[in-house]
Amino acid sequence: MEVSPRFRVPLLALGFVSLAFGIAGGLARLSSFEVAETAIALHGPLMVSAFFGTVISLERAVAIDRLWAYAAPLAAGLGGIALLCGFVGAGFLLVILAAAVFVGCGVVVVQRQPSLETVTLLAGAAAWLAGNVMLFEGRAAVPWWIAFFALTIGGERLELSRYLKRAPWVRRAFAVLVGLLVLSPMVPRALGVVLLLLAVWLVAFDLARVTIRQDRLPRYVAACLLAGYFWLGMAGALIALATRYDAALHAFFVGFVFSMVFGHAPVILPAVLRVRFPYHPVLYLPLALLHASLAVRVLVSMPLGAWGNAAAIVLFVLISLSLVIMFDHRQSGRAAPR
Amino acid sequence: MDEEDVKAALKMVEDPEAGMSVLDLGLVYGIALEPGKVRVDMTMTSPACPASEYIVDEAAAAIRAVAPEGTEVEVRLVWEPPWSPERMSGDAQQRFGWK
Repeated sequence: MEVSPRFRVPLLALGFVSLAFGIAGGLARLSSFEVAETAIALHGPLMVSAFFGTVISLERAVAIDRLWAYAAPLAAGLGGIALLCGFVGAGFLLVILAAAVFVGCGVVVVQRQPSLETVTLLAGAAAWLAGNVMLFEGRAAVPWWIAFFALTIGGERLELSRYLKRAPWVRRAFAVLVGLLVLSPMVPRALGVVLLLLAVWLVAFDLARVTIRQDRLPRYVAACLLAGYFWLGMAGALIALATRYDAALHAFFVGFVFSMVFGHAPVILPAVLRVRFPYHPVLYLPLALLHASLAVRVLVSMPLGAWGNAAAIVLFVLISLSLVIMFDHRQSGRAAPR
Repeated sequence: MDEEDVKAALKMVEDPEAGMSVLDLGLVYGIALEPGKVRVDMTMTSPACPASEYIVDEAAAAIRAVAPEGTEVEVRLVWEPPWSPERMSGDAQQRFGWK
């Protein structure tokens, strides 16, 4: 059954609470900045499982169109609030529940159409669940969370790249990477090598290679993707070398994952919230700031770069809101709908 | 209104990421016209695509915009048979390296 977009907004808003406090907590680690202790200590779980967990599982719930699937974003969003309020155990259990429901969504998708693409998405869901269980047990969650994003984004890109003519071995190579991504979180340095290989695959075979030569939205999305693949490769190399922990993690989560979000939002927000998100070249501004500030973070100054990362994300949210609201006003000013 | 009008309307509905119409991408499986009614069956490349509901609504809106007043427009999402690249138009196949 369809859940009205009106009810999706509060779910998204829950996720954004975790985003706001997660970013503030991350900045407070690097500079004198007053924020709740929980936001500082739980920066990673807030960003990954509470914010991204809410957004990604909401997107999947919309796709599969089942009421129970919305329990995933609800649990992830509430998990973030519980974490912020200091109910850490409850928060960890809520994000485990969210991931378990998300795995159920993955099963529905595979049943609808069994394929390498859908199995990859299911594997991504399982990796998120594994990461959240590790978090609850006090073990290393991050490698599993990295696999969650790599599999989820990789699966979706493989899907879209079906428009392109590719030799059969290209698909088989991707299948091997999926297998390695599922296994390698147990050996983080090996995970780094697999991420590097995934970046090479994506740069070589993604649809973005073609759409970067188009214009407007397809080109902007392709720019977000290709820039993200650069940081994915960088993150892979740093993880493989077991060096520069902050740079490696943020190359992955800021350079790769947030770049995907910047590209994905104009395509997905209209679907999830039923709003118009008109393309505007100003979207390149937060994208450029995101990548430039990440370069500063990795090469020059960690705190300065981190503030730039946060500014890019806030700027992107503000520009997105402005574009949606301005379009809405233009439309309501017209006599007849299109 | 005939099938060509419906196709012309569907030419205006794009897969936002591919920058091509759902018609060129071969996502439209069937167009059935009856007096006072248009029915379109279409698919997506992915059953996990959150944009599917939105694209279906866009397709219905595009057809309604050119259909005579009062026409019932139904766009259904189907998953069988799965989409395959041979369904793309000559233009799309050329752009994506199939020709």
